[in-house]
Amino acid sequence: MASSRLQATARQLSKTFKKKTRFDIGIASELPPAYKKFWREWKVLKPAAVHFVAQEGKWRRDELTGETLPIQNIPIPIKYPAEIHEGIWGGEAVVKGFQKRDPQRRRVPHYWVPVLKRTVVRSEVLNTHLSVTVTERTIKLINDHYGFDHYLLKTPACDLVSMLALKLKKQILTELMNGCPRYAHDPAKQKEIYKEYKTYLSSYTPEEIEWYGLSWYEALTKVAKQKEAENKPIPLKKVYRKNLVEKLKAAGLEENKGSADEISTTTSWLSKMNPFGKKDEA
Amino acid sequence: MRGRHFVYDLVEDTNIVKKSDIKIILTQFVQGAGTTGDILSLRPYKAYQDFLLPGFAVYASPENMAKYKVDEEKPKVEDMYSSPYVQLTMGQLSRLVLQITMSKSEPWVLEPWHIKASFRKTGFIVPEYAIEMPPVQIKGPDLSLQEKEFYITVTINKREKVNVRCRIHHWATGLDRLPWVEEHWKKPVEPLIPEQASVLEKMQK
Repeated sequence: MASSRLQATARQLSKTFKKKTRFDIGIASELPPAYKKFWREWKVLKPAAVHFVAQEGKWRRDELTGETLPIQNIPIPIKYPAEIHEGIWGGEAVVKGFQKRDPQRRRVPHYWVPVLKRTVVRSEVLNTHLSVTVTERTIKLINDHYGFDHYLLKTPACDLVSMLALKLKKQILTELMNGCPRYAHDPAKQKEIYKEYKTYLSSYTPEEIEWYGLSWYEALTKVAKQKEAENKPIPLKKVYRKNLVEKLKAAGLEENKGSADEISTTTSWLSKMNPFGKKDEA
Repeated sequence: MRGRHFVYDLVEDTNIVKKSDIKIILTQFVQGAGTTGDILSLRPYKAYQDFLLPGFAVYASPENMAKYKVDEEKPKVEDMYSSPYVQLTMGQLSRLVLQITMSKSEPWVLEPWHIKASFRKTGFIVPEYAIEMPPVQIKGPDLSLQEKEFYITVTINKREKVNVRCRIHHWATGLDRLPWVEEHWKKPVEPLIPEQASVLEKMQK
C-alpha cells in the first residue's frame, strides 16, 4: 500500500518538476521574451538538411520483405568552427566522421570541410557592396532568393548560423524600420526599396529587432547594462546637499540671504595673492 | 554511439554539379549584351559577376518582370553590327599603333599593300580593298617622317569603319640602323598631316 502511494507521489512530483533551462539561471532570467524568440529561431529550430539527403514522408516499405519502416531523417552531427562567424556559409559546416576506403582495411578518420571562396555581395537596403567568404551554396541561395537581402530576410537564423549574417540581418531590419535613411539623397529610390522589403518588417516588433542577432554573452551584457542604468546610485554628497538646501529654505529666506551676502563679501586669502608681483610684495 | 556509427559515404558533391542558367533583366544598355528591358539567360557566375554586381541588371523575379514590363516573346531588334565580334575588333584596332617598316636606303611610295603587310605582322589580316589611304601621298626614305603619325581607315565586313594610328619606321642593317627606342609606341608624336590632327587628338591612346 505504502509503496504504491510513494510511487504515485513520485509520479506527481515528476510531472510538476521542471528542469532549469539557461533562461532560469542568474541574470538570464531577466532576458526579455524578444530575445527568447530569437534564441529559439537560432538554436532550437531545426536547420535545413544540407549534409544529408532528406527523405519525404513518415513511413516507407521495405521492397524485399514488405516491412513498414519509419523514416527518421536524423541529422549528421556537425562541427561549427570559429571561422564560420567570419563568413556566410549558407548552412554548410564541418562534418567529422570516418571513411571506409577499403572493405579490408580499418576505417579512416576524415573531416569534410566546405570549399570556401571570397566574393562580393550587394546589399540593396544598405546600398553597399561587401566582400565576404562564402560557399557555392550561398551564391546559389542568393540567386534563388533573387538577391542578398531577400536571402537574409527570408532565411531563419538556424540556417544562417554565422554571427556575421545575423548582424547584417539585424542591420538591414533596423535600416528598414527607420525607413532606409541611406537613400535620403534619392527619395524615389528610397520609397521603392522600402516598398520592396517592408513585408519582412511585419514579422518583427521594434523590440525584437533590437534583440535580434545578439550572442548569449552580448544579450547578458545588454541586460546587465540596462539594469545598471536603471538603478544608478546617487552620490550621498548630492543627497546631503539637497537636504541642507531644503533645511535652509525652511529656516527662513532672510537669514539665508544675509548669510549668502556675508560669504560673497568676505575676501578669501587667495584673492590677496598676487603671483605677478615682486617677491617682497607677495 | 561508437566510431562505427559515424562512417559516412559521399553521395553527391554539390560543388561540381552543373548549375542551371539564371535569367536577368538589363536595366541599362550594355555593350555587346542588349538594352534596357532585355531578358538574358546566362551562366550563374557570369550573370552574377558581370551584370548583377555592377548593377547593370536585376534578377528576373516575377515582381521585376512586372516592374520592367518585360515581354519575353518580343522579337529581337535587328543587330546594328555586321557581327557580334565587330565591337571587339573595332576596339582593338582603335587602340593599335601600327608600325610600318619601310626601307631607309631604297626609295618608296607608301601603298595599301605596305599597310596590309604591316597589319599581317601584328596579327590582323586586312584585305587591300578595306584600307583607305591618307589623302596625301607619303614618299620616302625621309627621316623627318620617323617621329610623325597619321591614320588610315579600315572597313570591317564592308560596313564598320575604324581609324588606325600609323607610324613609319625606317629600317636598315649594320651601322645605318636607327637606335633602339624603348616602348616607342607609348611616346606621343606629332601628326604628319595637319588635317588629321584633330581626329588623332580624339582617338583613344
